[in-house]
Amino acid sequence: MPDAIVAEGLSKTFNGSVKAVDSISFRVSEGEIYGFLGPNGAGKTTTLSMLTAVLGPTAGHAMVDGLDVFRQPHELKQRIGLVFQESTADQDLTGRENLELAASLFDVPLRDTPQRVNYLLERLALADSAERLVKTFSGGMRRRLELAVGIIHSPRVLFLDEPTLGLDPQGRAGFWKIIQDLRKESGMTVFLTTHYLDEADGMCDRIAIIDHGKIVATGTPSQLKDQVGGDVVTIRPSGAAPGVEAALRALPGVTSVTTQDGTFRVKCPNGETLIPKAVATASSLGAGLAGVSLRRPSLDEVFLEFTGREYREDEGPTATDRAVFLTRMQDARRGRR
Amino acid sequence: MTAVRRWAALTRRELLKLARNPAAIATSLLLPILYLLLFGQGFNFSSLLKASPYLSPTQQALLLQQNLLGAPDYFSYFAAGMVGFVAVTATLFVGANVIFDKLFGTLKRTAASPATATDIFGARLVAGSLQPVGLAFLVLGLALLLGHVGLSGLHVTASVSVLGALEVVLSILLLSVMFASLFLSLGFTIEVPQTYFAVVNAINLPVLLTSAALYPWGSMPVWLQSIASYNPVTLAVWVLRINFFGDSYYKYAAWVYLLGLLAWAIAMFTIATLLTRRALAPKK
Repeated sequence: MPDAIVAEGLSKTFNGSVKAVDSISFRVSEGEIYGFLGPNGAGKTTTLSMLTAVLGPTAGHAMVDGLDVFRQPHELKQRIGLVFQESTADQDLTGRENLELAASLFDVPLRDTPQRVNYLLERLALADSAERLVKTFSGGMRRRLELAVGIIHSPRVLFLDEPTLGLDPQGRAGFWKIIQDLRKESGMTVFLTTHYLDEADGMCDRIAIIDHGKIVATGTPSQLKDQVGGDVVTIRPSGAAPGVEAALRALPGVTSVTTQDGTFRVKCPNGETLIPKAVATASSLGAGLAGVSLRRPSLDEVFLEFTGREYREDEGPTATDRAVFLTRMQDARRGRR
Repeated sequence: MTAVRRWAALTRRELLKLARNPAAIATSLLLPILYLLLFGQGFNFSSLLKASPYLSPTQQALLLQQNLLGAPDYFSYFAAGMVGFVAVTATLFVGANVIFDKLFGTLKRTAASPATATDIFGARLVAGSLQPVGLAFLVLGLALLLGHVGLSGLHVTASVSVLGALEVVLSILLLSVMFASLFLSLGFTIEVPQTYFAVVNAINLPVLLTSAALYPWGSMPVWLQSIASYNPVTLAVWVLRINFFGDSYYKYAAWVYLLGLLAWAIAMFTIATLLTRRALAPKK
């Protein structure tokens, strides 16, 4: 399968010192759904902005659908679709008018435009609201309209930047159903950024986990989970627990034991059978237990495995966020974008 | 063909938004209409001259015409100035709309499409320059109407030819292109609405006060006349006054002032195009 997206040594530095994206390389095959997973400020949107010619790179090279992103931005924009995090539809126009405008901007043949607009309005359950001003739309309707605008020209590669941000679980499920159906129908490549683990797990053919501007792991969801090495039993002692780590390590089936903030993470093929043994071992050494939990392999575990910290979907602003924000404010004060 | 379609689609968008926002139109008209209804009526000093027992009617008329460059009374002189000034107040919103489009993400969406910076700028310029022409005629109609309801009104003393009418339209259009370019370039480079409106206010009033829109020309100090002669509002207003009141008091024909306006419009258009391209280029 030929590559739809190729990124080599892509970097972006803000303010000359804050590396938002740090020399990342990856390839996305045609027709694949490829997810960039990471917390806020990890570098997901910066990467997507570079791949869509919205942002110039500090270093590196990128090709999308055979086009050099940084040398052929105009041609690129005709072949890709882009769905932003926030609603970008014109609120003073109706849903239909927004789609007609997008059709003109993206060179959808004039004779095909009414048919294409009607098809998308129907397909995305917006037909009944087509003549309403967008300012009266609900959050879910705006997201669907955003998607319709992004695919009005049947792009070969679709970029989705946190497309379900702010949607309720039902809205998110509905949105992804549409994306999967569209992918099946048209075979387009989808590159998405998300900080929802369940979305990345359920939607993507392959995932790259990005943290602090670097790709720390990549593979299919199941490959990544396999790298964790089975179930993880977490044992939280209520106080000091001398000798417990070594005793846990000696239990049959245990592949590794790591300690973080006084909590033991014990990896093993079958967590359910290990728990009674682990509890008995801790008790025999006189260690009280504040809690024991079992986690099946998940992307949370993958993230923890590769970054050394818990994944939090609501992580606050990072150094990169602050640097980007400061750069924008400084640009605004200087009177430029 | 695709570029024409993009321009047409973007211009349609601007016009649709405008039509759905009558408050913006009303605000554009507010200042010129207030000037006409309050300042123009209250400041119509020609009535003072007419009440003077020391001047014959002929002397009064001569004095007025010398000071007002051929206009029969101050209100008529001033009304022509306000018709020109609409081009400034009505184009102010084209820049503000750019800032709001940035805040609401709409500009980001357009910039991510194959539409070029020229398409995006050009469509806004077309819509933003056509609107003031229509509004100027509304103000002109109001100024004419006021004379028929017992108030001071605009008295057109020259016979306006078809060519003269075209010159009037062209002068307002060129002035609108110039100011729409100026305000668009501000809109594309400024991020915060408060800053934009502060800058616009810092431009609007000095432009009005250094033009011949308000003051009787004969009573302006020479240094102010020198500045006003190059002010684009003055150039447009002179074209209007030549066509409304005759050209006896003017140094040049209307087309010369139109050429001056054209130079202003081209200069501002060029600067605005460069600034817009820079603002919409991929960020480094």
